[in-house]
Amino acid sequence: MSGPRDHEVDSDEEEDFNPAPADMSDDEGQNGDNDEEEAPRRKASPGHTRNGADDDEDDEEEEDDQDDVNARNDDDDEEDEDEEEEDEIQGHRRKRRKDRRNAFFDIEAEVDDEDEGEDDEEGAEDQEGFIEHGDPEEADFAARDDERIHQDLDRRRQQDADFDAERMARELQQRHAHRRRAPGMGETGAVPQRLLLPSVDDPSIWGVRCKEGKEREVIFSIMKRVQEKMGTKDELGITAAFERGGPNSVMKGLIYVEAQRQTDILQALEGMLNVYPRTKLLLVDIKEMPDLLRVQKTPTLEPGSWVRLKRPNKYAGDLAQVLDVTENGLEARVRYIPRLDYGMRDEHPGAMTADGKRKRPVTGARPPQKLFSEVEARKRHPRYITGNPNTNVWQYNGDEFEQGFLVKDIKIQLLVVKDVNPTLEEVTKFASGGDDGVENIDLKSLAASLKDSSTNVTYLPGDVIEVYEGEQKGVVGRATNVQGDIVTMDVTEGDLAGQTIEVPTKGLRKRFKTGDHVKVIGGSRYRDEVGMVVSISEDRVTLLTDQTTTEIIVFSKDLREASDLGGQGALGQYEMLDLVQLDPTTVGCIVKLDRESMVVLDQNGDTRQVMPSQIANKLPRRKLAVAADRNGSEIRPDDVVKEYGGMSRQGKIVHIHRTYVFCHTNATNENAGIFVCKVSNVSTISAKGGRVTSSIASGPDLNSMNPMKKLNPNAKGDMPPPKATFGRDRLVGQTVTIKKGGWKGLLGRVKETTDTHARVELHTKSKIINVPKADLVVRDGVSGREIKNYENRRPGGFLGPRPGSDRPNPEWNGGSRTPMTNASSRTPAWKTPTQGPNGGRTPAWSRAGGDGGRTPAWAGADGSRTVNPYDGNRTAYGGAGSRTPAWSSGAKTPAPDSFGHGSKTPAYGGGVSDAWGSGSKTPYGASAPTPTANGGDSWSGYTPGASGGSHAYDAPTPGMLGAPTPGLNYTAPTPAAMNAPTPSAQWQGGWGADAPTPAAGVSQLSALASSFSVGPGSKVS
Amino acid sequence: MFFLYNMERRVTLHPSYFGKNMHELVTGKLLKDVEGTCTGSYYIISIMDTFDISEGRILPGNGLAEFTVRYRAVVWRPFKGETIDAVVVSVNVHGFFAEAGPLRIFVSSYLIPSDIKWDPNATPPAFSDGDETRIEVGTHTRIKLMGIRAEVGELWAIGSIKEDYLGALEQES
Repeated sequence: MSGPRDHEVDSDEEEDFNPAPADMSDDEGQNGDNDEEEAPRRKASPGHTRNGADDDEDDEEEEDDQDDVNARNDDDDEEDEDEEEEDEIQGHRRKRRKDRRNAFFDIEAEVDDEDEGEDDEEGAEDQEGFIEHGDPEEADFAARDDERIHQDLDRRRQQDADFDAERMARELQQRHAHRRRAPGMGETGAVPQRLLLPSVDDPSIWGVRCKEGKEREVIFSIMKRVQEKMGTKDELGITAAFERGGPNSVMKGLIYVEAQRQTDILQALEGMLNVYPRTKLLLVDIKEMPDLLRVQKTPTLEPGSWVRLKRPNKYAGDLAQVLDVTENGLEARVRYIPRLDYGMRDEHPGAMTADGKRKRPVTGARPPQKLFSEVEARKRHPRYITGNPNTNVWQYNGDEFEQGFLVKDIKIQLLVVKDVNPTLEEVTKFASGGDDGVENIDLKSLAASLKDSSTNVTYLPGDVIEVYEGEQKGVVGRATNVQGDIVTMDVTEGDLAGQTIEVPTKGLRKRFKTGDHVKVIGGSRYRDEVGMVVSISEDRVTLLTDQTTTEIIVFSKDLREASDLGGQGALGQYEMLDLVQLDPTTVGCIVKLDRESMVVLDQNGDTRQVMPSQIANKLPRRKLAVAADRNGSEIRPDDVVKEYGGMSRQGKIVHIHRTYVFCHTNATNENAGIFVCKVSNVSTISAKGGRVTSSIASGPDLNSMNPMKKLNPNAKGDMPPPKATFGRDRLVGQTVTIKKGGWKGLLGRVKETTDTHARVELHTKSKIINVPKADLVVRDGVSGREIKNYENRRPGGFLGPRPGSDRPNPEWNGGSRTPMTNASSRTPAWKTPTQGPNGGRTPAWSRAGGDGGRTPAWAGADGSRTVNPYDGNRTAYGGAGSRTPAWSSGAKTPAPDSFGHGSKTPAYGGGVSDAWGSGSKTPYGASAPTPTANGGDSWSGYTPGASGGSHAYDAPTPGMLGAPTPGLNYTAPTPAAMNAPTPSAQWQGGWGADAPTPAAGVSQLSALASSFSVGPGSKVS
Repeated sequence: MFFLYNMERRVTLHPSYFGKNMHELVTGKLLKDVEGTCTGSYYIISIMDTFDISEGRILPGNGLAEFTVRYRAVVWRPFKGETIDAVVVSVNVHGFFAEAGPLRIFVSSYLIPSDIKWDPNATPPAFSDGDETRIEVGTHTRIKLMGIRAEVGELWAIGSIKEDYLGALEQES
């Protein structure tokens, strides 16, 4: 504070005190009062100071105080009011004024006792009303008040200091902006917009070059100069000045000044730093003037948000975090992970190449991102490093490192602010640099930096959205169209319901309800998880994932409503439940897919988290893989197997790999229901221990539900084949010859038999030998004639007896009177050798008998003679039709046959069931439709014999059919023949005549049968 | 909510079943295939009757006969917002699982009134308000369904007891 200023102080300070009277004008008269009252006081005050010129100090202090307080007074009318309230305690208006002034000016002075004393001495009288210490009454009060006010001031100063400049500025701006708007708005409200456009009569705008980055500074200094010169004779002729600088502006390096004449500008900017009015001024076209003032949204950088670096090249594209933004908004202090090589590459700093140029730095792969390491740095450059190990702040090579991060002020234009899209991996690196690792990730800042970049993509038509900012706050609707930053929405709730409005994405967020089924999209690390919303707070949504039933918290903007059946997506080429090769000896099944990794259940039952890069390859799913379970049954993929022992888990086979099966079960959620087992440790789930065929059609147990069985409900399962030996063997007592072996040709009588052998008492020698039945030829006891086809001799015409009847073996029971023997002895057919074979026996029989195919077929097929007799029996029965041939064929034949084929498979059952089917038709229904292939096989294997058999039955069949008709003819004669012995010749002749015809032959048989029924007893005699 | 619902299904029959009782078999197969299953949004609880069995049509290739059967069944469909009674089957710190028939319901701790707190020290673990309300395995609860999701062959839901008249029911044993 020099002399000249002291002189000027009056007017200046007067101005300064209320620099914006217009602003204050809405303050009521009180303020004006203040001014008025202060003015005389001020007039006095300088006088006083001038009087006391010796103590400059005091003066200065006063001035300082005054400035301070003035400044604050400008700012803080609230505080004024506060003071007033406080002051009101004292009640006396005038005194309050005084106190106020005290507060403004004299606190320091009062504290200073000496000064105060001087003041008191010198100015007590004439300064009455300024500091009233003269009044002894009030001295106490004043002292106390002063003390209090003093403390008050201290406190406020402290507060002010605490206020950071930014906040102060913001407050200031808010208050003033608010004040100015009111009248301004009123004006514009009345005047149409286009009339406000500049015309030729308005001042022109010139662009003036200035130093880049200093635009704002220049404008500030212009403003200061304008204020300084205001009201003086050399007032500046400019009416406005502004700048459109900024990191990304095209108008940087220019300020714009509005003035009537160019000279005004030159004059105004004369001698100002950083601005170059002498260079060519750019006159702005009138049309372009409004454009100059168009407001552009500049991206705001907030501390904590993420940016990417453009330069230096070494760091291009690297993620950085904003720590701070400088006040002029041009630079930001960012931290990023350094890429240092710690001098590993340069041999000698500043080394010269042969041609004298500085060696270019080796270009190549840039060093990897790594946090700064003091140890590394000290190795090569111990001299370049300074810092404090306690705070972990270092200077190295001119760069500053904090906590391992490189911290640097970088111009905002060298930062990529939009579309940063930091990945979680990158962000994690920053976080891990923190004290407590991952916990340090600030989801809020992440959200902030993601907000601008991805909002417009995340809204899709159909999303339910909510406006949470701006005038339309609280409006809820459904997005119908998204175009750039503008979302068109149909409002569904609130006053605006039914309307369609357009809103910027900025103030939008998605809205979900509890219970919604959502999928995580966007940048969250839970990407692709699907789950149900459990709770919502602001824009954070808690959801319960479907896969793991755990709760996760994500931003609502990262969510989308999901279809009800959400599937886990795929990670690259890998999908859930794929079989992958981890190393040459290990395979695993993918049980969980994350965004960047997957969880694999390996063949040993361990789960491990792997990256796709750790997987050697994916094993294709082999549909045809076959293995044998612990029972030896084959198992294939999709079979249901059960673990033997262990946890007895049961599941469907997903993969078979060598000796391991990977199965899926619904019983547990662990590992997505996948478990692994040794092949030898599972057993197939199946009723019969057989293979479960995958085909649904043949899946059900056909046997249990076979309708054929249901048709015959009395049949209880498989009836056992008839007993091999029931009754007496007809062979016993027969005269036989032996046709094979050492006893060949000898005659004998069968004493007893077993299934296969007969004990024959030889006639020649009193000896009983054991001979296979097959080696015997039965001979007529009287004539010694061979009875051919003994086993099958019971012909079709033998209708009468049933197996269950009293006379199971009527033929032999009859003993000597059996029709055969009787007939043979009686009928000419048997008696006449010439006609006998053909006449007495039907051609059918002869054919059957002579059908070499038949017997050998049986023999061949059976491989054992045992069955053969039964076969004979059975067939005979079959021919008789009394017993169902099905029994004989079904029960017996398939069994030996299938044995012969050596396959004991369920086909056997099929064969049996088929026997049922065939039973209704022909005894040897080889051609009968057989549902199962195996059954068919066994039958087809049988076919030759069977067909032979069927031939054999073909023969009786006509007989059976034919029998009734001729039989009728002979019904009458037969008894006659029986009863009338004489006309035997006639009969013989008759027979002889008739014998050759098959029908006759057959009818003879039927006649025999009927004769049987009529009166066998008489015949015997 | 339970509904009586007319539905239609195609049933295939193996040739070996062809015969006079085919319709019985078709009905039997239908019962076996359908009863107790979940088709997307509802469970088929019981089949009342089949009122129309079409003529069988032999499928080319495999000889199966296909019948179109129309039947009437009792189905149960849980609805969002429906209040149902369920039995708690498991309790953990995040909430509890309950079952209402075939439906599994999860009630998150967010959807449990704030005065009912997770009490890990209790045996068995339970949610409790320190007074008489205890939610542990076996507790009968009344739950409001907040969301329902269909999976293959089953439904499951999340529920809330954070409303009046919801929560543990008094056991009248």
